[in-house]
Amino acid sequence: MDPGRILHTGSRAPQSVAAHLDDQAADDGPRAVSRTSEKDPVKTFGEACLMVRKPALELLHYLKNTDFAHPAVRYVLYGEKGTGKTLSLCHVIHFCAKQDWLILHVPDAHLWVKNCRGLLPSAYDRTRLDQPAEASAWLKNFKTTNERFLSQIKVQGQYVWNKRESTERGRPLGEVVEQGLTRAKSATDAVGVVLKELKGQSRAGGFRLLVAVDGVNALWGRTTLRREDKSLVAAEELALVHNLRKMVRNDWHGGAIALTLSQTGSLFKPRKAYLPQELLGKEGFDALDPFVPILVSNYSPKEFESCVQYYLESSWLQHEKAHTEDGKKQLLFLSDANPGQLERLCAHL
Amino acid sequence: MAAPAVRAARRWPVLALDLRNRLLRLPGLTQVRWSRYGPEYKDPQIDKEHYRKPVAELTEQEKYDLELRKTQHIKAAPATKTSSVFEDPVISKFTNMLMKGGNKVLARSLMTQTLEAVKRKQFEKYRAASAEERATIERNPYTIFHQALKNCEPVIGLVPILRGGRFYQVPVPLADRRRRFLAMKWMITECREKKHRRVLMPEKLSHELLEAFHNQGPVIKKKHEMHKMAEANRALAHYRWW
Repeated sequence: MDPGRILHTGSRAPQSVAAHLDDQAADDGPRAVSRTSEKDPVKTFGEACLMVRKPALELLHYLKNTDFAHPAVRYVLYGEKGTGKTLSLCHVIHFCAKQDWLILHVPDAHLWVKNCRGLLPSAYDRTRLDQPAEASAWLKNFKTTNERFLSQIKVQGQYVWNKRESTERGRPLGEVVEQGLTRAKSATDAVGVVLKELKGQSRAGGFRLLVAVDGVNALWGRTTLRREDKSLVAAEELALVHNLRKMVRNDWHGGAIALTLSQTGSLFKPRKAYLPQELLGKEGFDALDPFVPILVSNYSPKEFESCVQYYLESSWLQHEKAHTEDGKKQLLFLSDANPGQLERLCAHL
Repeated sequence: MAAPAVRAARRWPVLALDLRNRLLRLPGLTQVRWSRYGPEYKDPQIDKEHYRKPVAELTEQEKYDLELRKTQHIKAAPATKTSSVFEDPVISKFTNMLMKGGNKVLARSLMTQTLEAVKRKQFEKYRAASAEERATIERNPYTIFHQALKNCEPVIGLVPILRGGRFYQVPVPLADRRRRFLAMKWMITECREKKHRRVLMPEKLSHELLEAFHNQGPVIKKKHEMHKMAEANRALAHYRWW
């Protein structure tokens, strides 16, 4: 086993899923993981596959039987590191995209609470801080994911961005998104407006809304951001985090909320922590309570076999000994059927 | 480990055990690489298959060896030598040469990232290629690695020999291990020195390995230069006395 790779914590930001996943039926074979763009499976294999596993199927079952008249239910995927929470979320997002839901996807909430440059005091509320770079990136992804809804949904309030620009009532949502993309200073406010509008209009029934946040424990954790006077920024003082917290509350109906906990990018949390109480803290747990917890665990023997078969069929496992029984037993032992660890092992074999 | 190395111009031939011990304790000869194990310690048998053979199938000689080993002292197996099916001594040696300051964790992760980079590059080439070209593209990073190092091995080397107060570069046939060492050393030095500071080692190494696999690139050039120098100094070959 190679301990060096466990210490390597890059920021995992899987790109907008709808743009990348293939047009395949949901019950397709096994899985490849996308971490950074050099390791994109689309570049290597020409396809991106997911393994269909029980947690994702459970969540899909719940989503198929949601009652849209009731408040949105929160589903929290939790589990140890590398077990497949993010990809289960991706599977669910893919399903909802196929069913024409409106997807509100935050690929990694931890990116909003650390390593942010260019914090500005918010124009809307002086006590909060803007993050133009992160907000613009999110708006760009949102635009590519939900192109068709941007012209359909009409804004229900009047918003004044600055002395020269404003959006009237009844204009399409696409204009708000464009405003955020062109003027970086109003990007965060544009995100806030988009979230508010979608929440308000989802009950009208014109569309179904899926809020998918990866690493939701970042919203209630500590940040490593500081202002110019070196004072620490609390999570609720960030406008993006404040708005997203409001989105994740179950006071709206017409959709569902799928969340993932993640220790990997988290700040000031012990490495072994994976339970909701440990990662969310008291404040986060109370804010998310009640929710449906879904445990994502390591591969079962059948799933492991299926994964190794996929690697062998696509010739990803090139080592001649990997085809043998001994080789497979060794892979099982070294990875302990952990999907992330298996992927890292097979990468160099 | 085999015989402890002694700081001398060349290796002594295999001497009798007590003669070698007495020689090593002479003044003026210091031991460079030595182990704390005495000569009676035998190397451990790591191979799993060796122990899996049922007792009935062993020959008389093997049964005798098995009994003999029970009475002998055996050295401890080094932590890096495993009975894993995926282990490769060449890769281990290369990783050790890549290591700096005893940081084996970093060296090993660089090695695995290099192999992954080689594999990904070859997969991309495979995807872009037509059906006939696909048969020629090698995607196994281990075969590429071994073939690249084999292509970089020089056939003949130069040794400085002192004659009449001057050192002459004399062409000399190299032992196998010296050739493998030189190939790996050149590869690592090339990748360490001739890269931009922002380029990471796995990326550079994978690029150089692929070039060496196709018999191109700076390491192959260095091998050819060594051969040319040996050819140029052909007249000095008679300075060699072994």
